[in-house]
Amino acid sequence: MTNSKPKFWKSLNQYNQKPESVEATHHEFVNGVTDEFDVNALPDKSRRKFLALLGASSALAATACSDYYDKGEIITYNKKPETITYGEANYYASTLNNGAGVLVKTREGRPIKIDGNPEHPIGKGKVSAGDQAVIMDLYDPSRLRYPIKKSDSKLVLYKDEMPRSDWEKVDTQIVGKLKEAANSGKEIAIVTHSILSPTQNKLLIDFAAKYPTAKVYSYELLNESEKISAWFDSYGSYDLPSTKWDSADIIVSFECDFLGTEGNVTEQIRQFSSRRDMDMPEKFNKLYQVEGNYSLTGAMADYRLRLTPELHYGFIMSLASEIVKKGKNAYLGSDLSVLSGYSLQQFADQNKLNKKFIDELAHDILAHSDKTLVVAGSSMPNSVHVAVNLLNEVLGSVNNVYDFSRANKTQRALSTNDELKSLVNKMKGGNVGVLIHFDSNPVFHLPSDLGYKDAYQKVPTIISLVESANESCQANQYIIPINHALESWNDFELRSGYYSLQQPVIAPIHDTRQKEAALLNWMSDNVTGYSHDLYHKYLMSNWEISVYPLSGSVADFRSFWFAALHDGVAVIKAGQTEKPAFNISALNSNPFKFAKQNYTLLLGAAYYIGDGRFANNGWLQEVPHPVTKSVWDNYAMMSPATAKELDVKFGEDKLNREADMVEVTVSGRSLKLPVLIQPGMADNFISVELGYGRTSIGDVGKDVGFDATALMSINGGITSRLYTGVSVKKAEGIHHLVTTQEHHSLDEEFVKDFHLKRHIINEYTVPFYLDFNKKYDEAKRRLKAEFAGDEVAFKKALKSEKIHLLGHHEYKNHSITPDRVYTDVKWGMAIDLNKCTACGTCVTACNVENNIPVVGKEEASKGREMHWMRIDTYFSGTPEDPVTSFQPMLCQHCDNAPCENVCPVVATTHSPDGLNQMTYNRCVGTRYCANNCPYKVRRYNFFDFRNDFADGYYRQDTLELMHNPEVTVRSRGVMEKCTFCTQRIQEARTSAAKDGRKIKGTDVKTACQEACPASAITFGDMNDPESPLSKLREHPLGYHVLETISVKPNVTYLSRLRNTVTEEKHGEH
Amino acid sequence: MSIELTHEPSVIAGKPSLKQIDASIIKPMNEVPNKKFFMAITLTLTMLSIGAVSLGMSFYRGLGLWGVNNPVGWGFAIINFVFWVGIGHAGTLISAILYLFRQKWRTGIARFAEGMTIFAVMTAGIFPLIHVGRPWLAGYLFPYPNQHSLWVNFTSPLLWDVFAVSTYFTVSFVFWYIGLVPDFATMRDRLSNSTAVDKIKKTIYSVLSLGWRFSNRHWSHYEMMYLVLAGFATPLVLSVHTIVSFDFAVSIMPGWHTTIFPPYFVAGAVFSGFAMVQNALIIIRKVFDLEYIITLDTLEKMNKIIIVTGLMVGYAYGMEFFIAWYSGHEVESFAFLNRAFGPYAWAYWIMVSCNVIAPQFFWFKKLRTNIPFMFVVAVLVNVGMWFERFVITVTSLSRDYLPSSWAYYTPTIYDFGILIGSFGWFFTLLLIFTRTMPVVSIAEVKAVVDGAQPSHHGIGHSTGEGH
Repeated sequence: MTNSKPKFWKSLNQYNQKPESVEATHHEFVNGVTDEFDVNALPDKSRRKFLALLGASSALAATACSDYYDKGEIITYNKKPETITYGEANYYASTLNNGAGVLVKTREGRPIKIDGNPEHPIGKGKVSAGDQAVIMDLYDPSRLRYPIKKSDSKLVLYKDEMPRSDWEKVDTQIVGKLKEAANSGKEIAIVTHSILSPTQNKLLIDFAAKYPTAKVYSYELLNESEKISAWFDSYGSYDLPSTKWDSADIIVSFECDFLGTEGNVTEQIRQFSSRRDMDMPEKFNKLYQVEGNYSLTGAMADYRLRLTPELHYGFIMSLASEIVKKGKNAYLGSDLSVLSGYSLQQFADQNKLNKKFIDELAHDILAHSDKTLVVAGSSMPNSVHVAVNLLNEVLGSVNNVYDFSRANKTQRALSTNDELKSLVNKMKGGNVGVLIHFDSNPVFHLPSDLGYKDAYQKVPTIISLVESANESCQANQYIIPINHALESWNDFELRSGYYSLQQPVIAPIHDTRQKEAALLNWMSDNVTGYSHDLYHKYLMSNWEISVYPLSGSVADFRSFWFAALHDGVAVIKAGQTEKPAFNISALNSNPFKFAKQNYTLLLGAAYYIGDGRFANNGWLQEVPHPVTKSVWDNYAMMSPATAKELDVKFGEDKLNREADMVEVTVSGRSLKLPVLIQPGMADNFISVELGYGRTSIGDVGKDVGFDATALMSINGGITSRLYTGVSVKKAEGIHHLVTTQEHHSLDEEFVKDFHLKRHIINEYTVPFYLDFNKKYDEAKRRLKAEFAGDEVAFKKALKSEKIHLLGHHEYKNHSITPDRVYTDVKWGMAIDLNKCTACGTCVTACNVENNIPVVGKEEASKGREMHWMRIDTYFSGTPEDPVTSFQPMLCQHCDNAPCENVCPVVATTHSPDGLNQMTYNRCVGTRYCANNCPYKVRRYNFFDFRNDFADGYYRQDTLELMHNPEVTVRSRGVMEKCTFCTQRIQEARTSAAKDGRKIKGTDVKTACQEACPASAITFGDMNDPESPLSKLREHPLGYHVLETISVKPNVTYLSRLRNTVTEEKHGEH
Repeated sequence: MSIELTHEPSVIAGKPSLKQIDASIIKPMNEVPNKKFFMAITLTLTMLSIGAVSLGMSFYRGLGLWGVNNPVGWGFAIINFVFWVGIGHAGTLISAILYLFRQKWRTGIARFAEGMTIFAVMTAGIFPLIHVGRPWLAGYLFPYPNQHSLWVNFTSPLLWDVFAVSTYFTVSFVFWYIGLVPDFATMRDRLSNSTAVDKIKKTIYSVLSLGWRFSNRHWSHYEMMYLVLAGFATPLVLSVHTIVSFDFAVSIMPGWHTTIFPPYFVAGAVFSGFAMVQNALIIIRKVFDLEYIITLDTLEKMNKIIIVTGLMVGYAYGMEFFIAWYSGHEVESFAFLNRAFGPYAWAYWIMVSCNVIAPQFFWFKKLRTNIPFMFVVAVLVNVGMWFERFVITVTSLSRDYLPSSWAYYTPTIYDFGILIGSFGWFFTLLLIFTRTMPVVSIAEVKAVVDGAQPSHHGIGHSTGEGH
């Protein structure tokens, strides 16, 4: 120790190698500093202890708080599936259960949007509002998740406490019951809706071969039986030819809502609107509507006559007799003595019909006789349809307006009423061993006086194959959960030769089976050996045998199959079919014998919820009725005069529309329901929509509206949906009917015709426009010469000439600031009001695309529906004969957006490409922007509707899968509005950038534009002079709503031309 | 009776000694509050809790609980905001503008009116914060530097409101407090340290009086400061409601977009503010035996201001109609016809009867010096002024440009709950004020008592003996 003095030393102690000094050199710090940290060892008031405790407690507090973003795990693909790329959508062609050809958009394996399949020859890329919203049914939380063997008829069915069973047990038991029934000779009754699928039809035949006592009953609440039977009586064929709506110059429709609820509406709208091209005004078709109800078609008509349906027959016959009288008869058949008792003049006088209407109609159908299409609604009786067929024959238009080569296919005729009655008798008599509800709901749909509800409970074994429990699942039975259309295989042939394929786009979400596969399994000998591709194989083999040979394809079957699957449809060449001869004796075999007595009742079709099967779809319940704007309800619709007579009131309390109740009685069957007073209805005429009043369904659709099937009779009135001699009287109580638009009294001078006075709606007539065009062209030439070369001055002068010619006042907006110049792409939209039929498809498409929540009846009653796009309805004229104007309204993306400058936090701003943007994160919700919006298109989240609607309906597991991942889900307190589908613009930008090109206006299609069956919406770049949009913006009929306030909106409306001869110009004052 | 024109009539009745003045003004603060006080504060606290519950529910569930709907995005919250800001106008007007105009009759009422201003602005200030959809983000309304580089929108009148109201509150508060300093010192000096309670009170008053020693130097600074602040506060009286009116006038809604709004709103604010002060003082002077300071003459003068401002408001109502017609703009004309004859005609006619017709009775001296009568009229004026804001806010929104989006606004119980709560909050503060601070300025009253100021008449002039 002593012999080694250090060479370098810091102190004498160290130099002297004092032990404590030596020890100290082994430590970097003085004693006590580097001691192991022990809080307890520290003195009470120590800085380090304080810091230690502070740190520890904040760390503990931080870990105790859960991260609110952390709502579950997101696990990436371990191995990326070949077809799925994150952030990129896949599209699959398929078909929905109603036969509509669709293109399903999927993201990361989830279907999120349904649009029309452009390859499909009927829809041509468009589907209806109902089809758009089907996506919600796929994720509906009330769907059944496993098979159930139910023994208690009181159980709530779609909740968790359902008695779960397993497939093997259920299958084995069912097969046992089926065999037992077949062996004992008891009937196996299969009750189904109409069969649209050839393969499904074959399956039912095969099933009957396996179990010989099986018998299929098919029914449809909203059927076309009368029309089909009339066609059979007239032409000897059940296959109705398809109608070429676009070939008709004149359409005369009797109680037929072909733009709203009847037939293939999407196709009809497309064909009808194709003849409403404002650049070919001379080619405009003309629609005459004769109806007692006030339908959407009636609202779109150029001329409308309100006439109670009992008089339709006489009217049609009188028209035919008028044609014959004027020597225009094209019917070559012999005897027309049936018309001898009819005279148009006499009929019109007798019933005090509007003379102008009669004269115009007679004039037009004489002038365009071979291009006149006469149609009658499916609620009208056989005799009316036969008379319509006769009128078309007399006019000589049958070959021009019908396509016989593509007949509407009937796979299996609907059961007759006698067949249904015999089924009920057999069930009552114990002769039915097994009853299978094949995706049907007969208890709800069939008329109550048939007694189905009591009878079916007597069947020992009932099997319901359903997506979610319904009214027909109340007895002791097996409930078999089935796949949604998007999880299924199938084929459809709505029209001869158009075979369209349904393919699954997602594996079954729940433990469900396709209904056809379930049947196939029960037919097989190996019941427990079920596999999901049972029906897939069956379908393929059927196609190989029956469709492939028809196709004449030179490729092998697999190529043919995959091509069909890719396109979603296989088109088989049409054979030439001649028009069969008209059998005039049909007129005498089933004469019209109904006279008007008391009230007349029409049970109409609901616009969006079908026959009630879509009643649990909140989106559809909340699309406003196109005419009345009501949501979440049905009601007795009647004219103001009828309401006065019954002493009932409606909507005297502004938006919360309190409606008196009436009791409607049809031969002893009665129903109490609220009143809705609709101008334009025939007097002493009531119409009620079917499909409402579901009692056994999910939370959304339960007890919405009133079940009008209670008024139906299996024996029918005039038809199953039309009754006369109905009594109506005022009943106790009131009901809250919710409409999304106040209806302003038509005769109240104070607010009358505001839409015209304020130039919200500008309308002209076709003759006026033809005349205008001549003058405008002449002015153009004149001014061109005058301002030779000076394009700007020319345009200005032309514009002022145009305004003058249209009869408007010119006004100037002075601005103290220069306009902002947009040099690049600038987005804009044009909506052609000539084409728009107010079908509401755009509203639904927007809802689906933009994750717009359903708010429910109560919130809708406070005017808080969230729709970014709405269709405004305005009435003018008289309460007896109103004139209706429609206008889709959405954010106008104004250049001088008044919402932008009032937002205190800059949450709404203008983009360089002309979009009015919303920054949800920044929005504090002052609602100032909504107040200052003259179009009132901004929508505010008064609640977190995802929590608030139907007890957190949206929070249920499956529904969260429904959302479009490209669109933010908005929360409470935030303002929102139409974005012009900015996510789609962004997608187009990205792909343009990827391809190294500039984005073009036509690259983007907004959801509403894509969905519009009439192609009334055009979107694009207004800075591109060649774009279709720019042309429409320059069109003389183009105008902006509320031009005078100088907000410079970027949605151009094209004025509607009414094809009437009246010189009165709407939009003038 | 001959009118004495050689000198100003006294604003204080009788000739109270300085001690008397001290004693009578300070009395409420030295006494244990009586039963009536507790009854009153129980009532106001109950109202306050109704408001608190309604507001709590609104925070928890969302603004959907209120009656606001799609076209009518602003309802009770904004109406209440404008109403309370209006109430807050009288105080500063009385203490600043009347001070500059040497209106000595203001002395008895200025302190109280200022207090009301502070509390009314405190009440009003709550509403812009709670009416937003996400109140937890209300901080976004203030321009503070942040990592998002986000800034506020200086073109938005709502932002101007934030500045206008906060400036007004700050200045009014400072002005009020400066005026209180000598009185706090008086309070401090009159308290002994004998009991624990007095000791605490004395400590508080000592702190609040900022070492005031009644020295000439202090007084000289004080008077100058008071004058400067009065000059500073005067334009604010006009600016606050002008800016509040911009919330409406800057928008493009028919019925809102009018240039008459700023003066019209200011007149209306003074109108309702005076009515509210008059109402409260009638009670205060009775309860605290201050009739000799807040004289009938003072009340009459206030009534005269009520009739003047009432006429201004009435003129504005008429002029709005004229301009709407004269503009030739259909939507604008309809907006006003709709006010008078549309679905909200009931509200419009309540407003007109209360604001235009009711004050006309003050043309009669007998009526404007009748205390119960003037009390009723002032209550009506406040009801009318609340309805004026209701009419402006709701009728314009409920029927604007597109008839398709028209809708009726119906308030809910939560709206009424919060309205009641705002009154509860205001009156609770006012009641606490009457028990903790002198509701009449001791120092200023002493300065306007007969004989307090040097006069060529000498002492005792008011009796006429000096001649």
